[in-house]
Amino acid sequence: MAHDAALASPKAEPGEISSPGSLADPRRTSWPVLMVFLVPALAIYGGLTAYPAVRTIYDSFFTIEGLEVSFVGLQNYRDLLQDETFWVAVRNTFVWAFIAPVLDVATGLLLAVALYAGVPFARFFRVAWFTPVLLSYVVVAILWMWIYNYDWGILNAGLRAVGLGSLAQSWLGNPQLALGALIVTHAWKWAGFNMVVCLAAIHSLPKEVLEAGELDNCGWGAKLRYIIVPMLRPTLLNLYILAFIGKMKIFDLVWIMTAGGPLWATETVSTYVYKRAFNWNTFDLGYPSAIAAVWFGVVCAAVIILNRVLASKERLEY
Amino acid sequence: MSVVTLDKISKRYGSASPVVDAVDLTIADGEFMVLLGPSGCGKSTTLRMIAGLEAISAGTLSMDGRVMNHVPAKDRDIAMVFQSYALYPHMSVAENLAFGLRRRKVGTAEIDRRVKEVGDLLGLGALLARKPSALSGGQRQRVALGRAMVREPMVFLFDEPLSNLDAALRVNTRNELIKQHHRLGSTMIYVTHDQVEAMTMGTRICVMNGGKVAQIGAPLEVYWHPADTFVARFLGSPPMNLFTAPLTRTSEGFGFATPGLTAPLTRWSAATLAPHADRPAVFGVRAEDLHLDRAAAGPGPTGTIRGRAFAIEPLGAETLVVCETALGECTARLPRTVALRPGEEVDLLFSASAAYVFDGATGKAIPADETASAVRGVLRSLQ
Amino acid sequence: MSFTSLFGPRDRGATPMPGLFGKIMLALVIGAYTIYTLGPFLWLATMSVRTTAEISADHYAWPRPFHWEQFRIAWVDSNFATYFWNSAFVVVGAVAVVTLLGAAAAHALARYRFRGNRVIYAVLFSSIIFPPQITLISLYQILVNYNLYNSLFGLMLVYISLQLPLTVYLLEGFFARIPQDLFDAAKMDGYGDIEIFRRIVLPIGMPAIATTLILNFIQLWNEFLFAVVLITDPDKRTLPIGIRAFMGDHFQDIGMIAAGVMISVVPVILAYVFFSEKLIRGMTAGAVK
Repeated sequence: MAHDAALASPKAEPGEISSPGSLADPRRTSWPVLMVFLVPALAIYGGLTAYPAVRTIYDSFFTIEGLEVSFVGLQNYRDLLQDETFWVAVRNTFVWAFIAPVLDVATGLLLAVALYAGVPFARFFRVAWFTPVLLSYVVVAILWMWIYNYDWGILNAGLRAVGLGSLAQSWLGNPQLALGALIVTHAWKWAGFNMVVCLAAIHSLPKEVLEAGELDNCGWGAKLRYIIVPMLRPTLLNLYILAFIGKMKIFDLVWIMTAGGPLWATETVSTYVYKRAFNWNTFDLGYPSAIAAVWFGVVCAAVIILNRVLASKERLEY
Repeated sequence: MSVVTLDKISKRYGSASPVVDAVDLTIADGEFMVLLGPSGCGKSTTLRMIAGLEAISAGTLSMDGRVMNHVPAKDRDIAMVFQSYALYPHMSVAENLAFGLRRRKVGTAEIDRRVKEVGDLLGLGALLARKPSALSGGQRQRVALGRAMVREPMVFLFDEPLSNLDAALRVNTRNELIKQHHRLGSTMIYVTHDQVEAMTMGTRICVMNGGKVAQIGAPLEVYWHPADTFVARFLGSPPMNLFTAPLTRTSEGFGFATPGLTAPLTRWSAATLAPHADRPAVFGVRAEDLHLDRAAAGPGPTGTIRGRAFAIEPLGAETLVVCETALGECTARLPRTVALRPGEEVDLLFSASAAYVFDGATGKAIPADETASAVRGVLRSLQ
Repeated sequence: MSFTSLFGPRDRGATPMPGLFGKIMLALVIGAYTIYTLGPFLWLATMSVRTTAEISADHYAWPRPFHWEQFRIAWVDSNFATYFWNSAFVVVGAVAVVTLLGAAAAHALARYRFRGNRVIYAVLFSSIIFPPQITLISLYQILVNYNLYNSLFGLMLVYISLQLPLTVYLLEGFFARIPQDLFDAAKMDGYGDIEIFRRIVLPIGMPAIATTLILNFIQLWNEFLFAVVLITDPDKRTLPIGIRAFMGDHFQDIGMIAAGVMISVVPVILAYVFFSEKLIRGMTAGAVK
């Protein structure tokens, strides 16, 4: 229809917007009306997201101690390169951001397939497994600090109960294990999210394909390997990127459970920025601004690269 | 009084060629005007410009002499029934009906009265409390109609309102709409691509093609006197048979005489046809004017189309026979008793008064001369 | 038609398992995972109705008797009432405002064509990936400058900005699917743009709006980082930082911590019980491709 053609046409002629007649076009309105709808949201965005972000980048070229502000150029960035703690934090965050999502997504996928395989009360399990997603990091952190408690935590208590008391650990106190312990905790919270998304994606697959696999006498393992995973690829990649973004920002869990310790074993970029800005006695806001600015760039670049790399692979696939 | 006048109305998007191109149309007070055409011909866009939902790129739209180009849709006092019905899903039937009145500062008592009246009139009385999702397609259609009626607007617009209904319901609703038009006597403009709707409902039909008006006239006038080959084929089912052939001078004046087609042209004077002589012209004859036996073709001179039947389509009341001829395919609507087999050679006869001639270059009809046309009218009435 | 469906109705996608062994394995995995997700939570629930002395004696015993007064003590004596009402004030206020502003912006972006539409959408949407530190330090300075530091109102403003991108993203997707004919019909019925938003878009968008309401509520109810930076006054603490502070001061008082945690979790669990489908749909929207 002619009308549809109008909707598809990419842009109007210059100046048409302001001519009164064009206001009658169904998808146009006057600027004042648009302003009423958009300005409040844009004001909030501009004042509390865009401006602070720009200001943080601007601040990163200064040393800011209370009211004393002095321009230092790139000194903060030069210091950053020499800052061993920063690099430890980057390493930890990268380990977390690249490896943990695999754990999250794989667990989620397996759980989804288990539910899809026709378990009774699937709705109950879906709701039950999703519950940890809703708990705050504070609650999750407290729970798991207790689970990891050396004296009476369920982990050590369980090990002692089955005679493996020698394996009992101070899980969060051991620099070798602390990061792993946090990653497990984080996966506990998020696996249910990945499960629900995978389940929805499996249900939206064309049923005939799975049934065809059945007629070919395909076991669940083979079905997973040859049918579900390839067809769910876009969803799984999407989940991976989502998990990746989440992990690049991780703060709450670490801050409450270990505060970055022991010996910086669980220090992440977020906790380090927080420490430098609000927790150390230096009170310089310029240097943490530089870290934040660098990290902002890294996260954006990583998301763009991941999107490109994973998406281009997908294009080759088909 | 509500006369709607479109004066050289055009619609163009960006720099592309216009979707609606200089449409001239006057819709008289109380008239049921049907805009008919294939999809993409600009009829819906024209309707939406009248509604105020699309800007008018050029030309003037006026109602009762008042220019409406820049009056917003909400102030035009026009009601519209949409193809999708566009019922507000979160409101009950009664609220849907009342929604437009509330805006127009109609008193609560008056709103209730009108909603009840229209509800009763359309048989929606028992459904007033329901949500649209709990209604059948036909009921939704009636609510959409009621929403327009309750407003008592100057002009009603309909954008293919029956196309989402099944066949039986469509006939019922069509009759309902005709009834309401008679009752209200309002000006109505109705867009459709369905020629049956156009023929049965319209006071006049405006056939559109490629954004332009092809012909405006009363339904039978357009049917019997198509202005060009497009209208000739678009109105009528099966469409008019058209053959391009040279117009030649014969013993009795002018006519077609090529392998497969002989047609004496008695409706036209020699003077009318002379400028077209010895050039390709388009000959047309309707499927129902083709016959197997000489008697059925009626008195007077007859023409012949010779071909080979290749598809016999019995429709019950009649049988469609599609023939392969030297000039192309030809469809005849024959009595149900016809006994033809595919592959059989047939001579299809037609009265010379049933012939049409169109200009080979422009496709415009070459109008028959008065006297011949009168004869034809008499012959028609005798049949 | 599937082959199996000839033999009567079955669950969606249900297929016969390879055998008894497979069934038992599946049941074990599912059972173990359910204990793994729900177990810690139930453990927390039992501890919340036991005194710390009882817990120290045996961390895994069933509460006997149920010390419901733990909640009263936490609520009254341990300041959790203050934290709860602070959280409620900030979160309810922020959610109400962000939903209204977000819906208005989402409607404009979904419905109208104008220069810069997609740019605005992309800019808003891309801030979903921003690491919070990029705004955190400056927001601290800005709020200090405008006397909004250490103020619940200031925190509310920040929360509005935090949830705005997600709100616009979710609602834009829904609003864009409302048929244009409804808008045209309302125009013919005499309504202007703003009236149409109020009387057509908001009521029809209610399912999506409800989803974003609950989602925003839970995310802000659980928010920690901005609260801990922007609030220092003990009387203005929200629940997450209140619990964290309480734990810092009373590290050994496990029973009381558990009761406080339960208080903070109850609204979330209630929302989940009543709106689990909406919530799950909202949280997973956009992730399914």
